[in-house]
Amino acid sequence: MVDPSQAGMVALGAGIAVGLAGIGAGMGEQAIGAAAVGAMAEDEKFFGKGLLMTVIPESIAIFGLVVSLILLFVF
Amino acid sequence: MGASNNVKYAYIVARVRAMKSKLIPRDMYPKILNMEIPEITRFIEESEYKKDVDELAKKYKGTELIEHAMSQNLALTYRKLIEVSQNEANFLITEYLRFWDIWNIKTMLRGKFSGASEEDIVEHLVAAGQLSYRDLMELVKIGTVEGVIGALSRTPYYPALEGYKGDLAEIENALDKWYYAKRIEAAIQTGNKLFLKFLRTEIDLKNLKMLFRMKRAGMEREDIMKLIIPGGMELKEADLNRLASLPLNEFVRALEEFSYWNAIADVSSDLSSLINIEIRLDKYGLEYAARISYYYPLSILPILDYILSKKIEVDNLRIIVHGKETKLPEEIIKAHLVM
Repeated sequence: MVDPSQAGMVALGAGIAVGLAGIGAGMGEQAIGAAAVGAMAEDEKFFGKGLLMTVIPESIAIFGLVVSLILLFVF
Repeated sequence: MGASNNVKYAYIVARVRAMKSKLIPRDMYPKILNMEIPEITRFIEESEYKKDVDELAKKYKGTELIEHAMSQNLALTYRKLIEVSQNEANFLITEYLRFWDIWNIKTMLRGKFSGASEEDIVEHLVAAGQLSYRDLMELVKIGTVEGVIGALSRTPYYPALEGYKGDLAEIENALDKWYYAKRIEAAIQTGNKLFLKFLRTEIDLKNLKMLFRMKRAGMEREDIMKLIIPGGMELKEADLNRLASLPLNEFVRALEEFSYWNAIADVSSDLSSLINIEIRLDKYGLEYAARISYYYPLSILPILDYILSKKIEVDNLRIIVHGKETKLPEEIIKAHLVM
């Protein structure tokens, strides 16, 4: 267990993990999202593929979330 | 290329790629060639041109309808590219599409010069540039070449036109030179090296076609050099000077040192008609545009590739329709297609 005096640092680490992962995912998604909307504007059939491609960088955000959960509940 | 540049082009490139997927595939042309005019008309009516055909069906009939529908579709497609693009892409597309203003001005001046009717001139206009359909319709109503030039005095094209002294070829050449000089300026202004590269290759191909025509017509070096457009990629001024001074056979052999040779090598021996060579050079341009647009997928190049592919699709369909209408043999029509 973490020393109670260090608990704040753990919470801070968990926050940074989620925050940075979120920013990274967002940066990855901006071009993919723009391209998906462009393709969809021409052909609605691209909706499924576009959505799938757009959420792929979202896995990075999930990694951040997992790391923060480990920090908060395992240590 | 920076990340922000990638994002800038992601939307428009994805849209253009989706539009390109709707173009008539290359292997479809032999099938269209086997069709008769009513079947071709039906095929075009059921394709991407449907809306334009329906819209113009009240005004025109038969091949005239197809001709107008294709011109309208081309103009609307290009206008759409300008409307859906932003910032640098929008600026470069707008500048590139001024080609159609030059095209329309040339068509109009040629029409007025030869005394063609208003309908005949309108049939060949494509309102895809900065001069709107309404502007063009007003220009068509003017009776003389001088009148048309006067009406264009407030446009950026006027400097190329004002020197008109009865020689149409001279101002047509001035318009071409103006167009490419301005495009190069736009490329330098935005710092877009890929646009510049594409443009300079286009200039090379245009100069090569010009050299072939002029050499075949037996023109002198001084006269040829007046028509050459400066700023090419491989064919620098010194090369062009040298090529222009050689006799036709040696000129063709001298082209071996340039990369364009591969495109024309097997047809270079037959100079009885330049159609084969010009079609090969057009094809080279099309393949080059497709190839470099895959090297730089998030740039202006896929858009330019689409602009070129769309123009060639319309040209090919026009050639087929006119060829079939005049009952030309299939082989001759096929020889004129870029595919």
